Amino acid sequence: MNTTKLSVQSTDPRFNPRKGVAGAFVFILSETMFFLGLFFMWNFYAVVQGAWPPLSIARPSPILPIINSGVMVVSVIAIAVSSRAIAHDNRRVFVPALAVACMLGLLFAAIQIVEFSRLSFGPGSNNFGSAFFFLLFFHVARVLAGVIFMMIVLVRALIGQFSSQHRAAVTACAMYWYFIAGVWYIVFYTLYLAWPTR
Amino acid sequence: MASISIPVQKRQSALLDILTTVDHKKIGLMYMVAAFVFFLFSGTLALVIRLQLAAPDMKLVDPGLYNQMFTMHGTGMIFLFTIPMLVGGFGNYMVPLQIGARDVAFPRINAFSFWLFVFAAIVMEGGFALGMAMQNPNLASNAAWTAYVPLSTRVFSPQAGMDIWLFGLILSGIASTLGAVNFVVTAYAMRAPGMTTWRIPMFTWAMIVTAVMVLLSTPVLTAALAMLTADRNFGTQFFKSSDPRLWQNMFWFYSHPAVYIMVLPGMGIISEILPVFSRKPLYGTKAIVISTILIGLLGFTTWAHHMFVSGVAPEIQRFFMFTTMVIAVPTGVKIFNWIATMWKGSLVLKTPLLMVFGFLSTFTVGGITGVIQGMIPIDTQLHNTYWVVAHFHYVLFGGSVFAIMGGFYYWIPKMLGKMLNDTLGKVQFVFMWIGFNLTFFPMHILGLEGMPRRIATYAAGRGWEIPNLIATVGAFTIATSVLIFIINCLTLLRAKPAPADPWEGNTLEWDTTSPPEEYNFKKIPVVTSDRPLWDRRHGAAVQAGH
Ligand code: HEM
Ligand SMILES: [Cu+2]
Repeated sequence: MNTTKLSVQSTDPRFNPRKGVAGAFVFILSETMFFLGLFFMWNFYAVVQGAWPPLSIARPSPILPIINSGVMVVSVIAIAVSSRAIAHDNRRVFVPALAVACMLGLLFAAIQIVEFSRLSFGPGSNNFGSAFFFLLFFHVARVLAGVIFMMIVLVRALIGQFSSQHRAAVTACAMYWYFIAGVWYIVFYTLYLAWPTR
Repeated sequence: MASISIPVQKRQSALLDILTTVDHKKIGLMYMVAAFVFFLFSGTLALVIRLQLAAPDMKLVDPGLYNQMFTMHGTGMIFLFTIPMLVGGFGNYMVPLQIGARDVAFPRINAFSFWLFVFAAIVMEGGFALGMAMQNPNLASNAAWTAYVPLSTRVFSPQAGMDIWLFGLILSGIASTLGAVNFVVTAYAMRAPGMTTWRIPMFTWAMIVTAVMVLLSTPVLTAALAMLTADRNFGTQFFKSSDPRLWQNMFWFYSHPAVYIMVLPGMGIISEILPVFSRKPLYGTKAIVISTILIGLLGFTTWAHHMFVSGVAPEIQRFFMFTTMVIAVPTGVKIFNWIATMWKGSLVLKTPLLMVFGFLSTFTVGGITGVIQGMIPIDTQLHNTYWVVAHFHYVLFGGSVFAIMGGFYYWIPKMLGKMLNDTLGKVQFVFMWIGFNLTFFPMHILGLEGMPRRIATYAAGRGWEIPNLIATVGAFTIATSVLIFIINCLTLLRAKPAPADPWEGNTLEWDTTSPPEEYNFKKIPVVTSDRPLWDRRHGAAVQAGH
């Protein structure tokens, strides 16, 4: 085949490993703004409506979300362990820990779906119901996206594509998962805990 | 030194190449072509609008269609022309070249966001076009580009066209967010060795700030659009009985920054052209960069100046009036620096520089009328009148279209390897400048005389006839100028080839062939100043002189 010779300095930016991590960071920034938009909506209602949540709504039981918060903590620890392991080329910990994080992500989503069906109000009840479901829905959509991301990384890990020198995708995946966990705790607090006493 | 071998592209069919390429230059050109098509489309709608308003009681289009037309004109110009042209087109093509890289950071994501944009555009315009073809008024949106609730809810806009439009808009937002991720990372991680922060070229700086603004503002609009879509289709109640200011806040939180998303890249182009055509260094480079960043930050603090008559508490109104005045300061800094750059320079009066004059003379007017209407008591009078239409066309047409045209004349030699005809370019400029002012200056007067925007017709005897007629004549003068531009592009087929550096440029894109090879640079350049090519041309001479 016909080819052109191109010189490649060791500094060739194409091989810059910061690329993947920077990309994840910037993407997470935009995701943050999406949730800020939704939280703005929530707080806007709270300010203009006076009684927020509306008096007609009974406070939902936080049992499943509390369980899910635990699931999330373990999952975050697992992915943190996993990404540290690959940094030290420890593949015996890296792959199983990643698998655990991924399974727990799925479990989280499953519990969340049960929670949807258990609530006494729906997205069409009133604007509180809409806001409540929107925050849960878009969060669990991110959880599923994160699980798919982890699955892809897992497959690539099984093929043996990662090493301490080559693990930007693992780092990016872990960063995204930390973000999803962080959003979860804010969502959980806002929707289930921050109710005025009355 | 190590080397890699890059396969020379096998000749494949042009179509396959278009569909599969991940080369930032080809994608950039494809963005430009697509965006230009939407410019022509939305511009044609504007001509029909102007014909309808040329005289009182015209019945060229009925009011329902008129509403669809200005809605599609506005959204087409903003989301399908200006933003994709500047960010997707010029940004894609120029940022990697200016920083000495061989491509963007994530070439495949780049191709994906282009095709997503094309799909979104087809959805948005498709509903309208289909509706026109089938005489079906239900396939387009007609709630203006602002889509205020409750007008845009199912109660007042029951037609499917509203949902089609919303869907397209959401997709185009996702496409531009992904594109922005790419630019930020490209500029952060892909710069050639030696290109330190203060050596980044001005256009690339503008693109960095623009991309960050896209990243931070678009998702908020996406959230609002998702809420509206859910209300219309899935029975949620976000906007049903609640306060309309919720939509307004979320919409303008995106849409005021969007003004800077459309103008900052244009300012970047101006900052590239001016020093080259003044044969002087750009005056106060750092001040220009800092003012760009300040505009980017302050751009997020002014959105409620669109809501002065929406019932916002007076102290909040005063805050937003203040920020609106403040943002004029960094803009003024730029204008001062550009004028200082030209001062005592040996100006090369070619078309790119004329387009810069077009930018400066019109954008400055738009900036001043903006400060005027930013004052609460004045805005309560001018809100929703033709004054506002005049103002934002001075900003968007002046700030974007003149810069885009300047960018074409400046960079087409690089991108296509052929020189545009300079004489035709000058003629185009004259038509465009005169046409622009004929169209939009009278709208100030119409606004002061109380003509509301978005009305399909008006009765005689209010003194609105003559300014409207002049504006219509102006619109066709602009159309003529665009036609001249198209003719000029056609002459490219037989134009003489462009040298690598036809203008004596300063930045790295002039350091490679015109057009550049697929890999941009045979050897990644090492940068030692903010004007690497100027140094190379003059460095030897300066040393010899000492
Ligand atoms: C080709 C020359 C152009 C002409 C003759 C033109 C004319 C007009 C007119 C007459 C209106 C007011 C319609 C009404 O309120 O009933 C309008 C609205 C608008 N134009 Fe243009 N325009 C041009 C170019 C542009 C450009 C380049 C942009 C932006 C980048 C733009 C953005 C808008 C927007 C956002 C609206 C508001 C639409 C709405 O009210 O929803 N226009 N234009
Ligand atoms: Cu604004």
